[in-house]
Amino acid sequence: MPAKRRAAFFSLVALAALGLSLYAPELPSPLSALELTLPLKANSVRFAVIGDMGTGEKPQYELAGKMVEYRQKFPFEFVITVGDNIYDGDAPADYESKFERPYKLLLDAGVKFYATLGNHDKPNQRFYKPFNMNGQQYYTHKNGNVRFFALDTNYMNPQQLAWLEKELQNAGSDWAICYFHHALYSSASFHGSATELRGVLEPLFVKYGVQVVFAGHDHVYERVKPQKGIQYFTEGASGSLRAGNLKKSALTAVGYDRDRSFMLVEISGDELYFQTISRTGQTVDSGVIQRVTATSGVSSGPAEQVGPGAGYE
Amino acid sequence: MKRRNRVTRLIGWLSVFAVVTPGFAGQPRVPQASGEDARVFKIFTARVQEYVKLQKNVEASLPALKPTNDAARIAEHEHALARKIVQARSGAGQGDIFTDEVTRQFRRIIRGEFQGPNALQARRTIRPDNPSKAVVRLHVNDVYPENIPLTTTPPTLLSKLPELPKELAYRIVGRDLTLKDTKAGLIVDLIPNAIP
Repeated sequence: MPAKRRAAFFSLVALAALGLSLYAPELPSPLSALELTLPLKANSVRFAVIGDMGTGEKPQYELAGKMVEYRQKFPFEFVITVGDNIYDGDAPADYESKFERPYKLLLDAGVKFYATLGNHDKPNQRFYKPFNMNGQQYYTHKNGNVRFFALDTNYMNPQQLAWLEKELQNAGSDWAICYFHHALYSSASFHGSATELRGVLEPLFVKYGVQVVFAGHDHVYERVKPQKGIQYFTEGASGSLRAGNLKKSALTAVGYDRDRSFMLVEISGDELYFQTISRTGQTVDSGVIQRVTATSGVSSGPAEQVGPGAGYE
Repeated sequence: MKRRNRVTRLIGWLSVFAVVTPGFAGQPRVPQASGEDARVFKIFTARVQEYVKLQKNVEASLPALKPTNDAARIAEHEHALARKIVQARSGAGQGDIFTDEVTRQFRRIIRGEFQGPNALQARRTIRPDNPSKAVVRLHVNDVYPENIPLTTTPPTLLSKLPELPKELAYRIVGRDLTLKDTKAGLIVDLIPNAIP
């Protein structure tokens, strides 16, 4: 074969290989390839966090697939959602294509979902049993030594605030974790911080020792530097994504806006471990938060174990 | 004597119960208002209660909606309830609940919120997903617009308006303040251009 033709042949082969690698459907990662930073302690509370996921589009399904893969390594028992569970409609077909099918393997495995309502959600989603809202716009659930407060930030009326205060008073010595749709702190350009909501919610969080808050709304992942002793996370990129929307600010501890993501969380005693994972299985953030108890006086700033070059700080 | 003590104790407990359960049995709590404000709030509250009574009566004629795995069942219930309420209120019009004097008072409160010291925050709260650019003309008995995201109702505004029973909510659409049936998804009444 003349040299010129040989070179052309190898170029074609190389191009074909590149094409295949770009367009071939991604195969599930072997278990050993999944990086897990969580300690898997005995009797720990294990859950996942997703938000703004209900698009019914391919990336939502791919991220859900990644959650299934990780569950083999980190058997989380439930998922909390920070809203926008089902975009653009609430016909039965929407529930099917935007929730039941993407998370089928998790649902079949008995993983419970606890939902909150986002601004794209129809309020009657509260009657959809798999969301475990029991017909309520806001509610609480307890898992191990953790008391969760699922709030409706679309409508933070005095009744809900009074309810929250009463429930927080009764939380006792449990971890108190709040989750809802609108992020009280956010460095994303599209929405940014919900400052008015912050004005009514944060004083209660401070007063009653809420140390961790999950929200969404902005379609990015962000961990904010602790504010008044509270660790705020935004996980609003589990389906929708606004790539490049996160503008690093003085608030940002770690951010990621290049792809979809979900969080895994493990709570054992006074420690909360978290790991944020992208659609391709990259760990974009991880760390541990130490609970401040009346006697410990330990700071809640997370000891960071950030994945190499994944997000930005 | 013993009996009188028991009665006094019972009345005492009932008073405590009434105080700690605002909104009990669909009774909206009214923010502290005096004089003319209190009188107008009372009119509004009475009309709200009338609506809730009607809604409950209508809903009682349908199979009860309990949490279900069947999303179709939820949609059917919502649509059937809306249909029946619209039938029962076929003559309803703008101003039935937000009467002229109620509207005047609400406008004053809303103006205070959106032009007062909290204006920036309140506008920020409703700005991001406010569908003001969408051409949405609302009417009483319309289904709440389905394809536009909810606007967060400013919490500080909610603290100044009469509290509603859980069957109803104040919702801002564009510049309009609507009274929305949370279960039937209907617009029960509205104040057009309420947001200055």
